[in-house]
Amino acid sequence: MAKKANIKKDKVKKIVIDKSKSIIDAPSGMFSDKINEPFAHEMIVSKDRSENLTPKQRKRKWKSMANYFSANSLWMLMYCTGCCAIELPQAMTSRYDMERLGMGPMATPRQADILLITGYLSLKTLRRLIYTYEQMSEPKYVVGFGPCTLNGGIYHDSHAVINQLDQYVPIDLYIAGCMPKPEAVMNGFQDLIDLIEVGEATGWKDYHARYEWYKQNQKEALGEVMIHDEFHE
Amino acid sequence: MMNSTNRPGMNEMVNELKARFNVEEVTFVQDHEAHVDLHRKDLHEALTYMKQNGFRQLSAVTCIDWPNEKIFQLIFNIYDWSKGNRFIFRVKIDREEAMFTTITNIYGGAKYYEREVHEFFGVVFEGNDSALKQLFLEQWDDLPPLRKDFDSRAYSDRKYVKREYKTSFGEKGGEPFERN
Repeated sequence: MAKKANIKKDKVKKIVIDKSKSIIDAPSGMFSDKINEPFAHEMIVSKDRSENLTPKQRKRKWKSMANYFSANSLWMLMYCTGCCAIELPQAMTSRYDMERLGMGPMATPRQADILLITGYLSLKTLRRLIYTYEQMSEPKYVVGFGPCTLNGGIYHDSHAVINQLDQYVPIDLYIAGCMPKPEAVMNGFQDLIDLIEVGEATGWKDYHARYEWYKQNQKEALGEVMIHDEFHE
Repeated sequence: MMNSTNRPGMNEMVNELKARFNVEEVTFVQDHEAHVDLHRKDLHEALTYMKQNGFRQLSAVTCIDWPNEKIFQLIFNIYDWSKGNRFIFRVKIDREEAMFTTITNIYGGAKYYEREVHEFFGVVFEGNDSALKQLFLEQWDDLPPLRKDFDSRAYSDRKYVKREYKTSFGEKGGEPFERN
């Protein structure tokens, strides 16, 4: 017991801000080890050093910090399309507890960071999904569950279900399994967090860059992306 | 399959139907459930009679495609909550000119079932104009998809981009699986 208390005290000491040395003196290991780029050690912002940086370097530094913080506070949109959605309650509730990764549910696309596509997508759903995806604020990430989003899965020859989702919206991560077990879901979310931290989850940038290509594919499959909803017209 | 049942209300109802209408065949699937094959001209009167005698709920309207016989079989599933009995009425209509008179003035809830049957089989219900509108399939551009002569795979291949693999995972492709 005594030893444990000592360890805790040490940790507390490290976080104490030493104003004479730097603005933030972060404990080692606070930032991901995966940032192996030359600027990574400069994450600890020093007053003296920041004045020596070029504007480009400073921008990169702020970006990496922003990545760190956004990776640790991800809100996911509760839009469940297929049967893989049944694995999300286990991942969310006390047994696997998604919230310890900083992930939480969000009811509106405007404030959500992740869009989970849990399984097959019919054309009717795809229309709504594109609406939803374009409403989300950036940066935004898309996770595809199961083989249905990858190649159509068991619905590969169905008249109603699309085969490759990455033709219509950019996907940052696929989670394998039909359906993926909660362990796989949690593992996938951890991978997504790592990707965001190193700035490699760039699907939303790709959507900007190849917007015409995505729109072309959407039109080929859907005819028209516009939704004509008799209940709201 | 049974020819009769001891369930209260079932035999009496079947006898009444046989006396009044042109019943082709009656099959008991369970002791509280009977299939009744009717001539299509008698269906509306039969449904009205059933509704007056306790069968207040229309559970489903659906359709079966028989391409070799060149008919559509329309199926009307009704239920009596007071006795727990179920009747399933089946009528045959022509497949080439798939038309039937609506039952919405008997069971109002049939509005959406008829719309679904129209969308998936192409059966036109006279008197129910809303059945011509799209319901599930938005901007459909082919045969009604639940007809037997509709090729789902060909449609999927034509319309959706397939992922290409370098390895073949079919029966002859890939590495053979060895058993000890």
